Amino acid sequence: MAEQPYIGRKEKAPDRVAFVSGRAHFSSDFAFEGQLHAHIIRSPHAAAKIRSVDLSGALKVSGVKIAIDGAGAAEHLDPIPHHIDPIVFGGRTTDLFCLAQDHTRYFGEPVAVVVATDKRTAQYAASRVVVDYEPTASVTDADLALKDDAPLVVLGWDDNSIMQVPFCGGDAEAAFKDADHIVKTQVRVHRQATQPIETRTYNAIWDEGGQSITLYASAQNPHPMRFALAKTLRMPENRLRVIAPSMGGAFGLKMHSHPEEALICLLAKLTKGAVKWTENREECLLIGGREQTHDIEFALREDGRILAIRDHFLANAGAPGATPGWGMAFLTGLTMPGPYDVGNLDVWANIVVTNKPPWSACRGFGKEITALALELCMDKAARELGLDPVEIRNRNFISSNDFPKKTATGLIYDSGDYAGALAKTVESIGYYDVKRNQEKWRGEGKYIGVGLGYEVTPEGGALPGTMVAGYDTSTVKVDPGGSVTILTGVTDPGGGNRIGIAQIVADELGVAIEAIRVLQGDTQTCPYGFGNYSGRSLIVGGGSAALAAQDIKEKIVKVAAALMEVEEGSIKIYRGVVTSSAKPESELSFNEVCYAAYTRAYDVAACIEQPLEATRTFKPGLISHLPDEQGKINPYPSYSNAAYAAVCEIDPGTGVVKLLKFAVTHDCGKAINPVLVEGQACGAVAFGIGGMMGEEIVFDEGGRQKTRNFEDYVMPRAADVPEIVMKHHDSPNPVTFMGLKGAGEAGVGGSAAAVVNAVNDALAHLGVEINDLPVTAPRIWSAIQKAQSAQKAAES
Amino acid sequence: MSLRVQYARPLNVDQTVALLGELSSGAVIIAGGQELMPFINYGRVSPSVLVDISGLKDLQNIETSDDGLSIGALTVHRDIQINPLINEIAPLLAHAALQIGGGRQVHNQGTIGGNIVAMHPLYDIIPALLVLDAEIEITSQQGSRIVSMADLINESNHKMGTHAVLTRVLIGNSPAGQGWGYEKLKITDGCYGSANAAATVCLAEDGQVQSVRLAIGAVTEKILNLSEDLATFLPASPDADLDSRIAGIVESAVEQPLSDQQGHGEYRRAMAGVVARKAFHQALDMARQDMALRERM
Amino acid sequence: MSEIHEILEETAFLQCKVNGVSFEEEIHPSMSLLDLLREELKLTGTHMGCMTGHCGACTVSVDGRIIKSCITPAASVQRKKVITIEGLAGADDSLHPVQEAFCEASGFQCGYCAPGMVFSTVELLNEHPDPSDAQIRKALTGNLCRCTGYQSIVRSVRQAANQKTASGDHSE
Repeated sequence: MAEQPYIGRKEKAPDRVAFVSGRAHFSSDFAFEGQLHAHIIRSPHAAAKIRSVDLSGALKVSGVKIAIDGAGAAEHLDPIPHHIDPIVFGGRTTDLFCLAQDHTRYFGEPVAVVVATDKRTAQYAASRVVVDYEPTASVTDADLALKDDAPLVVLGWDDNSIMQVPFCGGDAEAAFKDADHIVKTQVRVHRQATQPIETRTYNAIWDEGGQSITLYASAQNPHPMRFALAKTLRMPENRLRVIAPSMGGAFGLKMHSHPEEALICLLAKLTKGAVKWTENREECLLIGGREQTHDIEFALREDGRILAIRDHFLANAGAPGATPGWGMAFLTGLTMPGPYDVGNLDVWANIVVTNKPPWSACRGFGKEITALALELCMDKAARELGLDPVEIRNRNFISSNDFPKKTATGLIYDSGDYAGALAKTVESIGYYDVKRNQEKWRGEGKYIGVGLGYEVTPEGGALPGTMVAGYDTSTVKVDPGGSVTILTGVTDPGGGNRIGIAQIVADELGVAIEAIRVLQGDTQTCPYGFGNYSGRSLIVGGGSAALAAQDIKEKIVKVAAALMEVEEGSIKIYRGVVTSSAKPESELSFNEVCYAAYTRAYDVAACIEQPLEATRTFKPGLISHLPDEQGKINPYPSYSNAAYAAVCEIDPGTGVVKLLKFAVTHDCGKAINPVLVEGQACGAVAFGIGGMMGEEIVFDEGGRQKTRNFEDYVMPRAADVPEIVMKHHDSPNPVTFMGLKGAGEAGVGGSAAAVVNAVNDALAHLGVEINDLPVTAPRIWSAIQKAQSAQKAAES
Repeated sequence: MSLRVQYARPLNVDQTVALLGELSSGAVIIAGGQELMPFINYGRVSPSVLVDISGLKDLQNIETSDDGLSIGALTVHRDIQINPLINEIAPLLAHAALQIGGGRQVHNQGTIGGNIVAMHPLYDIIPALLVLDAEIEITSQQGSRIVSMADLINESNHKMGTHAVLTRVLIGNSPAGQGWGYEKLKITDGCYGSANAAATVCLAEDGQVQSVRLAIGAVTEKILNLSEDLATFLPASPDADLDSRIAGIVESAVEQPLSDQQGHGEYRRAMAGVVARKAFHQALDMARQDMALRERM
Repeated sequence: MSEIHEILEETAFLQCKVNGVSFEEEIHPSMSLLDLLREELKLTGTHMGCMTGHCGACTVSVDGRIIKSCITPAASVQRKKVITIEGLAGADDSLHPVQEAFCEASGFQCGYCAPGMVFSTVELLNEHPDPSDAQIRKALTGNLCRCTGYQSIVRSVRQAANQKTASGDHSE
């Protein structure tokens, strides 16, 4: 292997100056000649018949170019292709349109749109659109949606279930019969949302000459988005270009098949101009996820070994949407039983539609809920059996000797050392110090608790028959002047994978990183790729760029050997300098060799095929889409994992939780750039903390969303997040480039579980346990009050 | 909503009130914009006329006289926090202004007048002004009049109407030896308050609590002014009995508690008692320290 | 009709300086300063995150004090000096020390909140050249970040403070 001056180093973003000086370009920063602006009219009802839409008031406003309703849009648009169609997995499907037509299924559903010369005029004209609604019965609660008399969210379905799907293995029933202990709890996870600080923008420009559209979009998956747009717009893909400039965070929100995408393109086509729409925060908050209720049970042996897990859970996926949101609940079931060696599984997911707005992908993609359910039940088991939470986990972890490990749901885990990672976290957080001193602190009136969480996060997912692909492609080009351009199919939503890809290619080629430029997110220039999701970008973007760089390096070595008249095997390229062990006195610059490769095609460079360009695909192993004898598949090549721990103090008088310490030990296989890995991990921890301590989306009785802005949706601020102690415990993945496992997604569930377990640990002496999330101060206070009055009643 | 907005930037208070006197009720006064702009941005408020008073210099000054402080309505929170006169005469107000959410950016732009006229139950300025027994100067074409803060919160539309402007906040000198406290309960740093309490305490020579003034914010739609309720059992000795009386009065005064992201009603009522006791004890401790200091001198 | 009505206009006349450049134009009376900067002046380094004043991505400096431009009426910066992130660097395009520190300590991931974070840091360090960890976190309370968990941002502020203390520059 070549020397690696860059891999593993804390390399900084090459374009960092642009970001701190306001010169980076995000989607909403682009404006074109004659730029028009769209404003969307949304349903104020959770469910209603739309009797009529009167656009005339809007059309009379000076500056309005077009106004269109669902019927008008349907003349031009086909249904939006599902990002992941439930029908592929045996579920129910329905056609989804950009604008509601005869009825609306959720609060905030797009009903009509107005385009005008400026934002203010569009907003004003939108207020003059008159929609005649006849509100109908709605249901926002998943339990109620399954009752016989529940209103149907999708007319024509038999009930409100997208699918009921088993994730079973072994013989759970027998194991539950034989168990010494059965521990059960209900874990209720509330609705949350991604909320990157940059909301979505779509700016579509029509080119009359080319009969084509260029769309500037905050898009994680430009190529698949183009496929979906082409279908919806009834245009061929080669007449569409999607450009995803710098993205201000995504976290799943900017995966494709949102209704506004094709709608804005259509408006550009109809106005023959440039039409821009930037989502406002209220609109962004409509797009939720995570809401699930788990009735989870462990069958345990006396020594704490789990014999079987039963978990029948309900997911409230909101109204059907074309984004991949509903699939998150599927993955919650698929990734049971997390890091634990439990062969007997009786897990059923019931994925339910309601009249809440649809889910879209949320960082964790359902895998975080697996961790929450398992880890909260694990701590309950520890309490009931009188075992230490570290000990009970260690007794149940898959052993590091057992990899590759096939789980009861058919996943094949590549590698890991779960007990080793947990041990490091236990040390970082000072776990046993807290345990030793807890009682003493309690005597001083301080309620301090420590909580653990473990999360296995399958990464790099590939679902058959969908645009969720397991592989990706990069092109590496080296110019005659020696500069290097990487064009890759993966996108950078803001985590900085472009830096890691550059590091990998710099080391493969032996050039200075300053010579490299990474270009992403343009369907016209980048190879066909699937973009960013599932922590895949360095695994497949970095992997494919490495392969392409190796192909080019081979050519460069040949030319260098010819120029220096030495054996190829003697050539070494390091930081742009080419040397040969056969002729230590002479050296060439990388740039000189590149120039020769292009300009001396008939003598020294006759040995290669020009140009110095290569396109390669990295297709990780381990993914298996051929069902095994039980019909199970393994959609992931890679199983990153991490151990989390939190220490908190609770003020019993107010229920206010203060996080005192936080620690993570992460196994991402190999850290190409520790700054990137740690950045991702710390961000995920803040997501986990926020989700448990403040973030919650709520609705009124009529199904109207009450959470409208950041006053209502309280995300963590700097003072809410403690310093995070980060350690690495990497076990390389044998089937990926350099052992990478992915680092972009993991941690929301493990850190959330650590917070909840710490809270429950701090309150355990009161007999208080809260698995109905979030664990906000008012809930904690109420639980303490309840426990204290029960205690008083028992005493008297 | 309307698309066109008429705009005026009057040069002084006289011009402002003359204009307001002529205009219909669609006119809205704008200064720092911190309260109004979110509504305008989302099309929820759509004034037909904006009267921009942000440039009125005579409403940006802080003055003292023998009677106490006179603070221009356009004084921004940051200046309230750091102004030496306010810190000397009404340190409670400076402290309350520090508790305002939104970060330094909002402190630099939001004005005391805007904070008051918003009459927002979760905001911090009014509880402080209530216990300081502050008065508000309201100016209209008919001239200026002075209204006590306590009266102002009891009136709908802050007793100002659409033709008047809040011009100054007047705070009398505190009685010697008065202690003060302010307690804001936030469940996370990004949250608005779940309960806020402002208190002042005066002690008699014998250490008995002579007077307590107390106001509770963020718990009910209308900020609670409880000074008179507490006066009924004063003077009293500052013991556990007084504590539970205060908490009892506070909790029973909370008739229809707010229920939102900051907490459900039952929680808000209980937290009102918690912050009241804490603010009271801060004030009591300060009054005692002051008394000890005077005795030593 | 009395004369006082004559001061009512259909637009607001705004005179100010943005990054040292004079601006003089009629603007819409209810336009936010953010829209003026982004739409009229094409200074797109100031970012829109919420339009309610909660996220701080739109932070700029007016007469030397930071404000949230999304909830500040453009008309209210009459005769004032506005500095945006594009204008924070020196005339020779050399970065402000706080910008340097955010580069050196990788104080951003997606970079969307970075301009606002930089401004909040500048104001903090002007008042507290050597802030405590708690002071740093408090000073960032008006700014949301969704990527970093704030760890690298706090590290960058600390680095900026260290540079400032080392260079003895407490002047700004």
